Amino acid sequence: MTAPATTTPRGTAAMTATDDAPAISLTDVHKVFPASGGQSVAALERIGLDVRPGAFVSLLGPSGCGKSTLLRIIADLTAPTTGTVTVGGRSAREARLARDYGLVFQQAGLLDWRTVRRNVELPLQVGGVSRAERKAQAETMLDLVRLGDVADRFPWQLSGGMQQRVAIARALACRPQLLLMDEPLGALDEMTREYLQGELLRIWRDTGTTVVFVTHSVSEAVFLSTDIVIMSPRPGRITRRIEVGLPQPRTVEDRTSPAYFETVTEVRKALHAVMAEEPA
Amino acid sequence: MSIAPPAPPARLRGALAAGAPALAVGAAVVLLWQLLVTATGVQSFILPSPTDIFGALLDELPTILRDARVTLAAVLLGMALGGVSGLLGALLLTRLGRISGPLLTVAVILNCAPVVALAPIANNWLGVTSIWSKACVAGLMVFFPVLVNTTRGLRDVDTLHLELMSALAARPRHTLLLVRLPRSLPFFFNGLRLGAAASVIGVIVSEYFGGPSQALGVYIANQAALSRFAETWAGVLAASVMGLALFAVVAGCESRLVPWQRHRHDGDT
Ligand SMILES: Nc1ncnc2c1ncn2[C@@H]1O[C@H](COP(=O)(O)OP(=O)(O)O)[C@@H](O)[C@H]1O
Ligand SMILES: [Mg+2]
Repeated sequence: MTAPATTTPRGTAAMTATDDAPAISLTDVHKVFPASGGQSVAALERIGLDVRPGAFVSLLGPSGCGKSTLLRIIADLTAPTTGTVTVGGRSAREARLARDYGLVFQQAGLLDWRTVRRNVELPLQVGGVSRAERKAQAETMLDLVRLGDVADRFPWQLSGGMQQRVAIARALACRPQLLLMDEPLGALDEMTREYLQGELLRIWRDTGTTVVFVTHSVSEAVFLSTDIVIMSPRPGRITRRIEVGLPQPRTVEDRTSPAYFETVTEVRKALHAVMAEEPA
Repeated sequence: MSIAPPAPPARLRGALAAGAPALAVGAAVVLLWQLLVTATGVQSFILPSPTDIFGALLDELPTILRDARVTLAAVLLGMALGGVSGLLGALLLTRLGRISGPLLTVAVILNCAPVVALAPIANNWLGVTSIWSKACVAGLMVFFPVLVNTTRGLRDVDTLHLELMSALAARPRHTLLLVRLPRSLPFFFNGLRLGAAASVIGVIVSEYFGGPSQALGVYIANQAALSRFAETWAGVLAASVMGLALFAVVAGCESRLVPWQRHRHDGDT
């Protein structure tokens, strides 16, 4: 997979889709955090996960079960204790160095001293893209998240939801094939949250990127995902993987459909089973 | 949703509104002072009245302005030296790794030392009438607060931002220029503001121990020696105005270059 980062999003999606290689592949990943008191914390155990290109996969589980750790391992921000990780056919480290993925956290993490546009330009600036190209690309991404009209504002002049949309535009600036999101809507109010869920689905369809999405909200996971991966409490293991059969493209009506509630119930049951289980 | 920074007229009005009570209190103090001096008939060598002082200031204005310019030059040179070296020192300190902690502690301790006490030594080393002996003292008084504050700023970086830069495979150079330096700018200005007032003190006191014949500190010392106390107080007043003006200029530059920080002080998230 050597497509240059400048191909159109649709184009890259089509190319990856024909590619049989998974977008992400984790084999037998363990993560142990050495703790100060000599007692170490087993955060992840025997994680095996394949994500097909173009999928929207949610990692769902109680807090502290290692969702963030798993995402950070995929992002090569922390190394697994044992096991192998490939992202887009390369090692996680190579993928990071090639800026193959975009990252969004619960906090927007925008730079206060830069305008919205210049915040979106940041990944391109670090990547050595020329000034003119940077600006054009940032404007495209701001249009994608429908924030073209606030490009010259500063982050602190925006609402939390708008800041998070800027963070998404920034993550997409290099047109990555993979978007990693750690509870990106977790800090927002219910209304904004539902609106942005719809926006996120639209962006996912428009760009064709693979998404790995961390959440602890069942309804959010069901509405957004093609696949839901359920994790057990510490040490985090993948206990189930549920395919969401809701039709695409999804709309607000799907939130009230019987199929939606069926899936929500199925996921809830799976979560309860996991919570009742004694840790090994 | 569209909170723009306040327009200049509104900001000016805000500053006036904030300054009005302080101004009123100041006027009351001056009035009380005047009444006290006239009522008690206290000798002018102990405490001249405000009218005496303002009269002396008006009479001596050409001399005071001429001398103040010499002093101001030394202050500005000192601030430039101290500001630049403090910033460079902070950058160096953050690159030193393990010994940077102890070095910073030493700097914090030295920051508390009365640097003005070095004035006679600086005069001795660099020449009593030289601008460098005065600028050196002022520079040291700016250097330490700028060094200590800027170093804090360079370290006070959001871990989220560092993680973001790491996810972007950014080189240390990028992280320094795009995240650490801008982040430390408000801290740098904080140090410079502290240094601005201190550097006027540094140069004036340094000039008490001898300086070029035309300098505000020398003027104050001479007038005091000649028992011309109204003139002495007028010189002190001029020096105070200089310190205040420098502080205001630095604060003005700061709110221009670091607008996001002003917003934070507004108490908004
Ligand atoms: N840097 C770290 N050092 C030590 N323990 C950690 C570290 N990061 C996470 N942990 C531990 O690993 C477990 C999983 O954490 P995390 O991945 O943040 O969970 P989640 O995102 O699902 O809430 C928790 O018990 C947490 O305390
Ligand atoms: Mg987490």
